[in-house]
This record gives sequence, C-alpha cells and structure tokens, in this order.
Amino acid sequence: MRTPFIPGLGLAAVLLTAALASCSGGDDPPAPGVDAGDSTPDAGVDSGTPDAGVDAGEDSGTPDAGNGDAGPPDAGDAGPGQPDASVVIPNTLSGFGLFTGSPATGGLQPVEGNVPYELTTPLFSDYSVKSRTLYVPPGKKAGYQARDVLDLPVGTIITKTFAFPADLRQPTQNVRVLETRVLVRQPGGWEAFPYVWNAEQTEATLDNGGELFRNVQFIGEDGVTRKLDYLVPSKNQCSKCHHVFDAQKRQVMVPIGVKARYLNRDFTYGGEPINQLQHLANLGKLEGLPPALQLPRAPDAFNPLEADLGTRARTYLDINCAHCHNARAEAGDTSRLFLDITSTETPNLNMGICKRPGSAGSGVGGEFDIVPGDHSVSILWYRMHTEESGKMMPELGRALRHDQGSSLIADWIEAMPDRSCE
Amino acid sequence: MRCRSPLSSVPRAVLLTLVGLLALPACSDEEDGPGIPLVPLDAGTTDAGTDAGTTDSGTPDAGPTDGGSSSAWPQSFSCQGKPQQTLTFNSTQVQELQNKVNDLADCTTIQLGAGTFVLDNAITIRSKGITITGAGKGTKGEGTGGTASTVLDFSTAAANSNGIDVVGDLFSVSDLAIWNAKKDGLRVEGSSNVTIRRVRTEWAQENQESNGKYGIYPVKSAFVLIEECEAYNAADAGIYVGQTRRANVIRNIAKQNVAGIEIENTKFAWVQGNTAVDNTTGLVVFDLPGNPIKGTDILVVGNTITGNNRPNFASVTASSSTVSQVPAGTGTFILASRRVEFVGNTWGDNNTVDIAVLSGLAIEPDITQWSAAYFNFPSADVYIHGNTFTGGSGDAVDNGNLDPERRPLGVLVGAVYQYGASQGEPRVEHVFWDGIDPAPRDESLRNPVNLCFTDNKLPTAEGEPKHAIVDFDLQAVSGYLRTTTPNLPAAWAETRRYPAGAAPFNCSGFLPKLALP
Repeated sequence: MRTPFIPGLGLAAVLLTAALASCSGGDDPPAPGVDAGDSTPDAGVDSGTPDAGVDAGEDSGTPDAGNGDAGPPDAGDAGPGQPDASVVIPNTLSGFGLFTGSPATGGLQPVEGNVPYELTTPLFSDYSVKSRTLYVPPGKKAGYQARDVLDLPVGTIITKTFAFPADLRQPTQNVRVLETRVLVRQPGGWEAFPYVWNAEQTEATLDNGGELFRNVQFIGEDGVTRKLDYLVPSKNQCSKCHHVFDAQKRQVMVPIGVKARYLNRDFTYGGEPINQLQHLANLGKLEGLPPALQLPRAPDAFNPLEADLGTRARTYLDINCAHCHNARAEAGDTSRLFLDITSTETPNLNMGICKRPGSAGSGVGGEFDIVPGDHSVSILWYRMHTEESGKMMPELGRALRHDQGSSLIADWIEAMPDRSCE
Repeated sequence: MRCRSPLSSVPRAVLLTLVGLLALPACSDEEDGPGIPLVPLDAGTTDAGTDAGTTDSGTPDAGPTDGGSSSAWPQSFSCQGKPQQTLTFNSTQVQELQNKVNDLADCTTIQLGAGTFVLDNAITIRSKGITITGAGKGTKGEGTGGTASTVLDFSTAAANSNGIDVVGDLFSVSDLAIWNAKKDGLRVEGSSNVTIRRVRTEWAQENQESNGKYGIYPVKSAFVLIEECEAYNAADAGIYVGQTRRANVIRNIAKQNVAGIEIENTKFAWVQGNTAVDNTTGLVVFDLPGNPIKGTDILVVGNTITGNNRPNFASVTASSSTVSQVPAGTGTFILASRRVEFVGNTWGDNNTVDIAVLSGLAIEPDITQWSAAYFNFPSADVYIHGNTFTGGSGDAVDNGNLDPERRPLGVLVGAVYQYGASQGEPRVEHVFWDGIDPAPRDESLRNPVNLCFTDNKLPTAEGEPKHAIVDFDLQAVSGYLRTTTPNLPAAWAETRRYPAGAAPFNCSGFLPKLALP
C-alpha cells in the first residue's frame, strides 16, 4: 500500500516558546470532552487511511540499517526489501494525521484506522479521564501475545490523551484536555513524545521539556473538590515508567497497557459493542488471536462481581506498579519488590510479604512492605496512600491519593492471614 | 483489623535467633577485576590513579571532558571523533533548557550561566557523554545564584521529582548548586564514567524529615568521581555512593545531614580528604540485606569525622531506613562490610562513638534476607591504623535521648555505659565492635573478624576511655537487657575492653592488601 504524502510536516522540531496560559482550573472557556470516538464509522479496511506521518523516504527517515532493530522482522512490509522508514515526529499532534477535529470543535476524532480502546483496569493518573488509540500502519499486523505487550510492528503509534472534566460526575461537560502522550514504534525501538494542549484547546504541541500545570481543580465523583499540580512528564521522564532491560541488559522502552488481558473487553465501535481484540483482528490488525474462551482477562479491579479481592488487588498492583516493580526493570531490581501479576500468584517475600525495604527512606509507615493482616503498618500501602513528596509511589504520574486504590490494597492486606513479621 | 498501633509495640528484635547457622557457602564473588594494581598506602598520598589527586581546585572544565578519570579507568563510551556541541542557557531560559535536555545528542555540553534557575521539574538526562557546567557552586546557605554561581532552585518543583536525574555513560557535572530538590538532589543511575565536581546540594531548612533523601547519589554505576562537592541538610545522606563499582570520593564537605557520606554495597571506593562534621553520623560503610552486590575494598584516608551529634531527624514514627536507626553521635559505622581500611583520619567529639563495627545481623537477623550477595552480613578485615582520635567522644550515647522504639541499639549501648560509669568506665571506647560475627559466637576466639587497630594517636586527657576497643558481645548483652528483668551487671560483664596495641587487635591488616583498580 502506497503511503500518501502529508504536506506540511515540519522536519525538525522547532524550539518551543509557546508559553501556555497558566492554568487556573476555572478560567478557561468550557470545552467539550474528548469524544471517545464511537461515532467513527468503521470500514474495516484501511483504504484511504491517512498515513500517520510515515516519511516516504526522505532525510529524517533514517533507513533501518544496522540500527539494532529491537523488534522482530516485519512480515508485512509494504515494498519487498524496503527497509522500514522512521515515523517523522511532527511538531503538533495534528501533524500525525491521527485525529480530526479538536476538543474546541466538538471533540478529537480518531481517523479510520486509529482504533480507540480502553483497558479493563487503567493506571491511575490523578483522576484524569484518559482516551487511548492504537494505530497499526497499513499492511502490517500486531502479533498476539498471551502475557506480554502485543507484538506491535514498526510504525505503530499509540496515543493517550489526558483530560480533566470540571466535575467527574459529568465527565463529558466542561472538559479541559491537558496532554496527549504518543508512543511510536520506530525501527530502533519505541520512542515517547509529550504533546501539550493549548488553552484554546485547538492544538497540542510537542513539548519535550514537559510542563507543570499548577492548581488544576476538579470535583471528584464523591463531590469533593480536589486540586493538584499536574505534571506532564518530560520526554526523558517517559523512560522512568516505560523502560525495562532487554536480554542484553540494555534499557529499552515498552508500552504498558497494550496487553491482551487488559484489552479483553468490549468497546463501542460504529454503535456496536465489540470485543476490542476481536475488533483488531476483524480489521486485519491483529494476528494469532486465540478463541475468546482462551483469552486471558484482567478484571476491573473495582468490580467485585468480576473477580475475588486478591485477584483484583493484584491486578491493580500489576497495572499501577509492575512496569517498574518487576525483575526486568530498574526499580524492581533495586528494591527486589516484584508486583507483576505473575510474581504475585502465590504469597512470597518478593511481593513484599514481611519484606524489609531495600532503602525506603524514613517515615514510610512501617518496617515491612506488607505485614499480612495489618495494612496500617505496611509500607506498600503507605506509599500508595500518602500524598507526601518523596514518599509517594509511583514516582511519577500521581500527586493525589487514589482513594479506591488505597482502599482496595488495604482490604487485601487486611484479608491476609495475620502474621507477625518480627 | 488487628488492634495494633501503627508503631509496633514489640521492640525491634535484635538477634532473636542465631542458632542453627550452617556453614555458609563460600563466597564466589563473580566479578572481581582483573590484574589489580596495588595501591601504595602512605597516608598522605593523594593520587587515586585519577586526576582526583592533582590540586586542580577551581578551574571549571571548559568543553567536553574525558569523564574526569584517568586513562587507567576504562571507558564504556567515548566522545572522541563524534560531533560535540555546546549549548548555553541563562536563567531566563528554563523552558528552552528543558526542551533541549529532552532532545539531546550524545556528547553535548550544557553551559548554565550565573544566576538562579527556577525549575518546576527535574533535569532529566538520558543521553551519553553529557557535560553540565555552571558558573560556580556558591556557598552554603545561598539559595540564589550570584554573578559567579549557578543555583538550580527546585523549591516549587513538582512533587516527588529529583533535581538532576541522569542515566547515561560519561556524564560530567560541575560548578553548580542544587537547592531544595523534592527528592534526591543529583541522582545518577546505571552509568559509568561519572564525574561530579564542585556541586553543592542543599536544602534550606535544617533538621527537616521532609527534606530530600540524598544530596549526591550515584547508584548502580561504575567509575565515579565525586570531588570538592558540598552536601547539606539531606534527610538521609549528603553523599551516597550506592551499589557502585569503583568510586573516588575526594575532598568533599558533608554537614547537617543524617548521614554525611555513605558507601553502600560498593566495591572499590577511595574516600579521601573529606569533611564529615555535624551530621547524625559522619562517614559510614555498609551493605544492605537483599542487595546482590557485596561491598568490598574501601579505603578511607585523611578524612575529618568530628562532632557528628545532630539529632537523628530521619528517626520518626515508623521509620524503616538504616540511617533512621543510627544513634546521634556516631562518627563512623561499618556494617556488613569487609576489607575496609582507615588511615590518617581524624575522629573526635562524637558523643556515641568514633567507630562502630557491626554485623549485618544487628539490623537484619534473618540470614535468608542476606542470601542475594552470598550471605554478606559479616563484617571482617577492618584495618584502622595511623589515625588521630582527638577525644571528647563516647560520653553521651545518642546524646542521652535513648529511644527503644526507633534506635534500639543506642538504648542497649547507653544502658550498659550508664552502668559502666559506676564501674569507672563511663565512656564508649573509640572502636566499638558488636562481637557478633562470625555467628554463632565462639568465646575462645577473641578477634575472629580480623579487626586491626595499630599506630593510632589517642587522647590522654583525664576522663578519656582507658581502653581503645570494646568487644560488646551484643547478643549476650541483649539477652540480659531485653527482658522484663534487665540485669545490667551481667550485661556489663559480657563486654570486654582492650587497650591500644593489645593483642589480638594489634594485627597488621589483611591480605591480599586493598586493591583499587
């Protein structure tokens, strides 16, 4: 499939000087919410899909020669023998061609082929409302993986847009969109780019340095007004959550949520609820999908009807903590605390049970990561519960306490058979 | 919900059970360097095989450096033959700086002008061969930059962010101050060939548990030089070399921290000419349980470690860090460490003790927790020679503020010496050995850990300890004191004292001698 050329793509990132209007949480004109895209008709083919800025072979698309392609060979390559081109990173989000419209004009609409999706249990991000899309380039397919992130081909683009409604009880009213994070699968591996939305909500601009939105204010689902300084991580900070060691002990970037067990849920496409994995397969974007009954599924961590307390708590830790706290990531390696869903299958020291922290600093609630039967002296719970700088976990992406998450982990620890760690 | 106060009502169990310790597997240390040259050890030498020893004080490095190490240190990354550019920023260009830092070619030098850079997020480096230079580190207490100093002010930065956060080989930073970082001041992780020169990390308020944890913090790195830096008011350690292979820590000043200088799970460190004064504990060497790197070969030479009596401000409700348990007034402690040599240092006016030599079992009696590094809890091969003890130490354990919940070791020592006063021995000796290793204790062995103490200058004034070393037999003392009916005389009787020069502590170090590749 020929990749259409998109005019107007800037080649080099222009130095940003666009100062964003300081954020006062209430002075901006009300903007409509991010439309999750369920009105996008789905043709199920990618004819005519605007290409997301894949460079047709000029300058900045460095050919993939000796670049140590971190991924598998691309089976579905367009021109036989053609090396994969790098995706050109535009200065504005619209430059990707992945969306039409904007929050200011009735919502951001994913174009055909840029598939919106949700996770069964999302990572907590200060109560922001998040919209996600997955774009697999024409002629390529993602490979199914039972446990790990889907095997996504070069040219894949994942976006996640963060927004705050003025009142979470009316999540589509008076929404302010702050940032869109973009993960791009380049020939040399994944790269991450932060785009920050302007106050007018008409455009998001590449902002490698990140941004601190001060005094973002919203009313929570409990009716309580909350205020925070919201951090758009800098480009390099993306690696704090997205880095793992590969087999050669090199740090490589990986997505977090795009795993079969979190994608295994329905989403409304073209007015019809369809399983997201099945939908990707129907589009020809996913191969190797096993029958529905064999699919793993991470439950909604806050729906007791979906799974028992232990499974829900472990799922919450898996999606919120395990990208760092696993044996293949720096924090896990240092702390010896492994919270991925596999490592927590049976109670053990490395998931924190009666484990002393490597070096937890001071005043973090106790002597052991988890004291079975008593959450109040368990460091793991304390670090999730506190809002104190230097003690909070995760390190980035949270300024507020997730009340539901904190309660879930507290309940889980309380439900463990009492045991003194002394 | 179990009815238990957030603070466990059970005091920390020290050495509950040491029975049944099997012969431990031999430590096959997997990563000892090849062909290690021996280091000449006259106390005055200031050449660590790097340019750390040359008296190059104060000329800022212009342009790219070679990583600050001599050619003797191997480099995993080099900028030779690569494009090298220099970017200059003044204090009004913070956003431009952040944008560039996050889109940085390898081998770039960032020059920061004089003045105050007010930052709301960490400066995060993920490229190689990066050099950051400022106009000067300024002086203690300066939260704003002057005409010849560069201050990075993080007072209003995002919660939980570090000051400068680096992963990248061949990193160099010099001549700037990092002020009020929310977490760690300068954190360098997983990087080799790291040079940190004339950097000041400071928090404005002293004694604040909410201050950042570490000032200067290279961790899991290799070939690290920290030279002529200053670190003040960190709620854990001013300078913390963690899990690193080969570090030189030369002529730095660490004051008003909980721990001045910490060398943790580190192989081959040269710690020379530093000033560690007015901290809770001055200069410490230890391995932590659970960490796979077994620290070894630490040379501590020509440092000043005096007056470290600051109350432990990390020691708060439900603390869990190692340093939060340290009694105020501990000049130096080594814990779970081996092959440590102290020469030409000065200790004095440390209210608890000048030097404590402790087993890892004193903080973590469960030996399975020490399995990651082949059961590295014992301390052994400690050579203390040619040092000066100026006196005034050991006369007020934990400043007299004994706290069984937070600093239990201090309570035991304090109690014993309170009784000791009635026996004419009111002061803790200059070297306190807990007498635990190798566990279980064999009473027929007087110095099984090869702790050597020779040719040191000791104070002779009235009231100074009559002996130099105490074998405290912590396990036995603990047994007599951690009961409902504490028996002080019996506990006291378990402790043994040795004058300077007495056998079996008059040994002459360890073999093979220290090797610092």
